[in-house]
Amino acid sequence: MAALSPLSVALLVAVSVGLAAAILAWRERPEPGATWLAVLLVGQVWWATFLVFELEAATLPAKALWYDVQWVGVVAVPVGWLFFALAYTGYDRYVTPFTVAAVSIVPAATVAVAAAGDPGNLLATERVVRETAVGTFLEVVPGPLYYIIAGYTYLLGAVGSVPLLQLIRDDARPFRGQSAALLVGTAAPWAGSVAYITGAIPIAGLDPTPLVFVVSGVAYLLALSRFRLLTLAPAPRRRARQLVFEQLHDPVFVVGTEGLLVDLNESAAEAFGIDRREAIGKPASSTVPRYDAVRDLADGDDKPRAIPIVGRDGRRPYEATVRDVVDDHDRTSASVITFHDVGAYLGQQQRLSVLNRVFRHDVRTETNLIQGYAEQLCAESSDERAVSVIEESAGRILELSERTRTAGELFDPTQEYASSPLPDVVDEAVADAREIDSGARVEVGRVPEVTVSVVLRVVLENLCSNAIRHNDRASPWVEIDATVADAWVDVTVADDGPGIDPAEYDVLDRGAETPLRHGSGIGLWIVKWGVDHLGGRISFEEREPRGTLVTVSVPVERSGVPGTDR
Amino acid sequence: MTDVRRRPAADDTMANGPIRPSTSDGTAEQSRSHATTAAAGTRRRVGAFATAAPFTAVVAAVEVAIATAALGVPLSTAPVAVGLVAFSVYAADHVADAEGDVGSTPARAQFALRYGDQLMVAAALSYGLAVALAVGAGPAALALVLVPGAVWVGYATDWLPTVGGLVAPLGDRVPRLGGVSVPRLKDVFLLNSAAVALAWAVAVVAAPLAFARVPVEPAHAPTVALLFAYVAARSFVDVEVPNVRDVAADAAQGVSTLPVVYGVAETRRILFAVDGVAAGLLVALVATDAASGSVVAALAAGLGVSVAVTALADRLDGSTLGVAPDCSYLVAGAVLLALGP
Repeated sequence: MAALSPLSVALLVAVSVGLAAAILAWRERPEPGATWLAVLLVGQVWWATFLVFELEAATLPAKALWYDVQWVGVVAVPVGWLFFALAYTGYDRYVTPFTVAAVSIVPAATVAVAAAGDPGNLLATERVVRETAVGTFLEVVPGPLYYIIAGYTYLLGAVGSVPLLQLIRDDARPFRGQSAALLVGTAAPWAGSVAYITGAIPIAGLDPTPLVFVVSGVAYLLALSRFRLLTLAPAPRRRARQLVFEQLHDPVFVVGTEGLLVDLNESAAEAFGIDRREAIGKPASSTVPRYDAVRDLADGDDKPRAIPIVGRDGRRPYEATVRDVVDDHDRTSASVITFHDVGAYLGQQQRLSVLNRVFRHDVRTETNLIQGYAEQLCAESSDERAVSVIEESAGRILELSERTRTAGELFDPTQEYASSPLPDVVDEAVADAREIDSGARVEVGRVPEVTVSVVLRVVLENLCSNAIRHNDRASPWVEIDATVADAWVDVTVADDGPGIDPAEYDVLDRGAETPLRHGSGIGLWIVKWGVDHLGGRISFEEREPRGTLVTVSVPVERSGVPGTDR
Repeated sequence: MTDVRRRPAADDTMANGPIRPSTSDGTAEQSRSHATTAAAGTRRRVGAFATAAPFTAVVAAVEVAIATAALGVPLSTAPVAVGLVAFSVYAADHVADAEGDVGSTPARAQFALRYGDQLMVAAALSYGLAVALAVGAGPAALALVLVPGAVWVGYATDWLPTVGGLVAPLGDRVPRLGGVSVPRLKDVFLLNSAAVALAWAVAVVAAPLAFARVPVEPAHAPTVALLFAYVAARSFVDVEVPNVRDVAADAAQGVSTLPVVYGVAETRRILFAVDGVAAGLLVALVATDAASGSVVAALAAGLGVSVAVTALADRLDGSTLGVAPDCSYLVAGAVLLALGP
């Protein structure tokens, strides 16, 4: 074979290493970035290959032909590099047919100009054959397009380097290794290119860029084999982190330092009925629920407490946590506010505490009573009163037991409650109440035809039975009324009884009992848990001249038919 | 499948043949049945691999070297480049088909499974080196060497059938492109062996010319044509001989080969006839003084080995039959080396 110039031999090394790396990269598809790395490497190989042909060609026209062919590889390199960097680091949403086409306009135009024989000397104003110690090549005096494509190449290279530089600072060691190898592999040709443009190469007119591709090839090969460049690509990490943010069950808001909403996740939009597009950029005070209360949390070190917030599922207690987003310079750039629905947790806690009290106090009291009167019966077997006291006491234990079961059902996570028209719900509750005392007057006012969860029946049943059982009048009176406003229905239960001891409902408000401050029985707790379950709220008022007015507000079921008054 | 049938894969691409034969080489028929047991160690696996891709590479290089001498062109990097391409294609093939080969060539398949990544790096470097050698030898050599790589890209990509479909209307005018996709050439009776033999002949004869940058002049044309026909005929025999051994398996799989269609005895007669054609071509080479005496003697020695192998086709055991046809080229190379070009 004819003796090759020293430069050609060096380029052949670049070709063989670069092509090997390209094949290995191509084989890794569809790993993120594999195809674009192959494009980059093939571009390098193409450039070096036709530079060899240029060097070995004997005539000026032949050299000029191979010089022009090189442009295909020259322009492919930066395009491959940019999209490889984007795809590899997880910015693949920028790698679309449109962006690829847009980025390829200048390179394609350059190749077209070269293919058309460089009309108007756009690429080169002068071409002369230059003989040097390392080979005979074409020396070119650059035209305007040459400078444009050179600048464009540096631009794409710089843009592509940004995400990779971010990666090199990553805490995951394999990614740092990958990134370092990639940067070496990419910096080498550019260092050569800069040296060429600044005239730092001792052999005038020699562009060393394709030569230093040997370094690139080795670096990429190393990255591929040693650092598992493509099989361990970090691209999914971005997506995974985004996915966690989006799919997190807890609503999350990101608020910038200026108090404007920067981002919110799907759950936040869903739970609080917020339009994401509209909300972003708005003041947090108008979008983040209870922002004033949450912001105070951030300032103080208070023990986290549940903040009731009304959302799509009614009123739910949320525990909010505020975390600052701090950048590398310890500057706070945003706050992440996470709402955690603690309704189920609080309910279970209350239930445990109440059941504990029922066993420890209520059942024990009744048992003591039974025991005492039983002893008395032993002494005097004809004591009618003792028998009736024991019967009543046992009945109360039985009733307590049944209510406990009802309460348990409210907490069954597998239980799904149907919806029912409010009038039906009220009718059923009233029928139950009438069974307790046939002499009771139970009146039903205007009940709108809206759909509510059947859990409301449990609530109303308990309220009515309480009103009748604890009423000291011969003929107790109870009235149920309802009004609808803004997709909420207020159901009121009024009675003419002696009124509820404020201690009984204060303890409901506080949400926890203590050995000294607790309610009696379990009926009011069932009412509270039922209302909580529905995401509603409950309030107690004294009536004039006597009695109590209980108002239960619950959201109307969304599937409900818009109703007409009965 | 046989070594010979697999061997031209690097080049059978030029004739639209499959670059990745679906079954493994014939050398391992014996490995299949008894040579490799569960206790086979790394040494055996290395051995099994060495008799596959590296052996094929050496045989390919020797064939190209003989062709270089026969054509009377200056010695170039062609034998090395073709050998490197053969190695990379077969190594990549062993890795790609490793799982499928576990049943037929367990030792080599295990080696390929275990060192798959390293083999692929070796194959990639080998091909890169071959291309670099070809670049140094000029555009014609580069074009020759790039064909298997281009087809590999196609095989490793899903879009090739699409491309095949697009160019199908051009199929008549561009048979090479059109034929890459369906129907699979290797499934067509006789055409598979013929295509492999032709591809092999093109590579062996064209590589020395392309790498030495020697244009085919009218004076050289008879030598080129006779050598081409000789290599094609010999390669055809090399492809079909191991099929005698595989006749039962091929028949069971519905693969049509000469022994399956015509029976072993008839096949031997056909192969003898093809060898006879090759002998006639050698006589023509001598008569036209198109090649030196030592080259003809070397080719004749190779032909003699081939005739002997054909005669013994149904008596040699599987492993011998797998490598025996290839050994004919090694014998020819040795004779040429002894006599001097």
